[in-house]
Amino acid sequence: MSISRRRFLHLVGVAGGSTAAYQAALGLGLIPIAGAAQPPDIAPLARGVRKSVLILGAGLASLVAAYELKRRGYRVRVLEAANRIGGRILTIRGGDVIDEVGNPQVCRFDREPHLYFNAGASRIPGDHTATLDYCRKLDVELEPFVNLNRDAWVQDDALFGGQRIRNREYMAETRGFISELAAKSIRPEDIDEPFTAADLKAIVEYLRQFGRLDPQLKASRSKRTTSTSFANPSALQDLFHSKILSGMAYGESEDQSAVMLTPVGGMDRIPAAFAERLGDVIQLNARVDAIRLTDSGVDVDCVTRRGRETLSADFCLNSIPMQLLAGIEHNFPADYTRGLAAVPRGKYFKLAFQAKERFWEREKIYGGISWTMQDISQIWYPSHGIHKRKGVILGAYTFDGTSGDMFARLSPQERLALAIRQGEKLHPGYGGYVEHGVSVCWHRMNHMLGCAAAWSGPLRTQWFKTLREPAGHHYLLGDQISELPSWQEGAVRSAFFALADIDRRVRESVVA
Amino acid sequence: MMMRTIVLLLLCVCGNDTLADAVFDSCVLCHGTGVKGNAAIHAPKLAGLQGWYVLRQLEAFRSGVRGTHAQDVSGSEMRTIALSLRDDELKKPAALIAGLPATSNDATIDGDTARGERLYVSCAACHGSRGEGNEALGAPALARGSDWYLVRQLLNFRNGLRGTAQSDAFGVSMRAAALTIPDDQGVRDVVAYINTLR
Repeated sequence: MSISRRRFLHLVGVAGGSTAAYQAALGLGLIPIAGAAQPPDIAPLARGVRKSVLILGAGLASLVAAYELKRRGYRVRVLEAANRIGGRILTIRGGDVIDEVGNPQVCRFDREPHLYFNAGASRIPGDHTATLDYCRKLDVELEPFVNLNRDAWVQDDALFGGQRIRNREYMAETRGFISELAAKSIRPEDIDEPFTAADLKAIVEYLRQFGRLDPQLKASRSKRTTSTSFANPSALQDLFHSKILSGMAYGESEDQSAVMLTPVGGMDRIPAAFAERLGDVIQLNARVDAIRLTDSGVDVDCVTRRGRETLSADFCLNSIPMQLLAGIEHNFPADYTRGLAAVPRGKYFKLAFQAKERFWEREKIYGGISWTMQDISQIWYPSHGIHKRKGVILGAYTFDGTSGDMFARLSPQERLALAIRQGEKLHPGYGGYVEHGVSVCWHRMNHMLGCAAAWSGPLRTQWFKTLREPAGHHYLLGDQISELPSWQEGAVRSAFFALADIDRRVRESVVA
Repeated sequence: MMMRTIVLLLLCVCGNDTLADAVFDSCVLCHGTGVKGNAAIHAPKLAGLQGWYVLRQLEAFRSGVRGTHAQDVSGSEMRTIALSLRDDELKKPAALIAGLPATSNDATIDGDTARGERLYVSCAACHGSRGEGNEALGAPALARGSDWYLVRQLLNFRNGLRGTAQSDAFGVSMRAAALTIPDDQGVRDVVAYINTLR
């Protein structure tokens, strides 16, 4: 087999997975997270100056904005349509109602501190510094979140007849295969650029270590092998035809890399910490019915139990999801209006159940994720409550629209039944452990009807700037208008952007 | 069923005005302020629709003659909502919607209105020459509806996503009518013409 330098590098790339891809991305000048990582230094309002800010939605971006503005003397009011704060930060515990339109569920988990399910935001990468800074500042206690566990399972019907194998085995054997292939194939005469004998020796040695090859450059079998699948001559074909590598490499991508963090007791500890400091400025059950830009500010029609009222403010910060905002009466500029309807909504789906025993720990799995090519895609094991009797396990997590629509069509009971059936391939006897299940179809949740905004490259080029800039005194807010959709960090930084702009305008108006 | 009753009770205790308004609120969530429609999530304008038509469609969603085709994603979403309503809750939104005026909207569909006008002749037999609808024939008003929605539904009829259940007599005859339009461009032409009706 002859091999060119380019082909060889390609093979190394395959073996290196997304770590190699990450290096390549760095090489291509992929910039770190855009947007300010620190809250803007908002000038305190001078005596006699009054500025009011109406904040729509009580998700993280809104809470950050309210907190920073209130500290500086702004009059803030937060309107939230739901009967809870947090937006897509949703921790579900026993007794909670899951407000999916047409499909309401009540969670019947036991009421114990470790039995909860983060149905929305659930993990924080170490480099999401703005989020982590607030956790520090607001005394939100954090614990490690195991995102990558080589003891977890991998299962694909196209791989070894659908037999489950350990993640570590998959990775070790894959690296061994690729390294052996490359090490034995590489010949100086095939290299199309000057290449010394020393270079060649170094590369072969690199491959030997990378793939744990023996001195004869043969991949050695893992000592912790659980299957004989890789000894099968057809293993290589199976490996290349299976699409599961993306899942295997997932935990090595930039924002999924260990170590990740999560608040002790549930992600909703973060919004709760803000709410504690904001007091009575948050009004729940207040639905926005119309938004009108005026010359000097923004008017908002709001429907509450007391009826309809019109509120006026100097500025409006709006984290209502774009797909809902598009249906609310407004007088936004035409371009802005088109943009709101242009960005598709995400259709993420999560399902969890209370297991009567922590069976996965008996399988030597402590936290982390198993991957499967079935609809459920992932199974997450809780990083907390280790060795307690029960645990809440995530039994499905999908990102794509097709899966989201498929699960949405099913009743909550049918979703659970499907998740159990598919989970059996990773954990024989799985269904026997299930006590109570809940599922959250974000694009069917009341007051949401969507998960993270599905920005594509072209959409971002066309609409992002238009939608991030203010329309009059109105600013869009939330992870939906950030470089990090679906991450809390995106929500926080969207608030920083709007706050900095408001601060600039207020400073200028005061000077004028 | 028991669970659903409990949840409904809980939702009543936790929140939202009277039940009648709570049901209408759930319409507004998707169909927008004044149920004028929200194209971003494929929810059509309801204001201007006749109450009897709204009721018939809610029943069609509930019985499954509409919203059960695997490719009809929006229909299946609406079916879930219809299934969650009690019998006595079906009439409330229908009555509330019937009381709302049809407002004009921005046209979003381009087409050849002259060709559309010629094609519309056969539509007019049931839906009226001004697209005002005809209750006796069970034909809803078309004028001033969401134009993108009319296109989508005509395509749904043509492609068999709607109007294939034999028990759905109105749907079956509408599918037959939709199939007489020569091509998909004809669908856009006829809707472009409907946009001119008042």
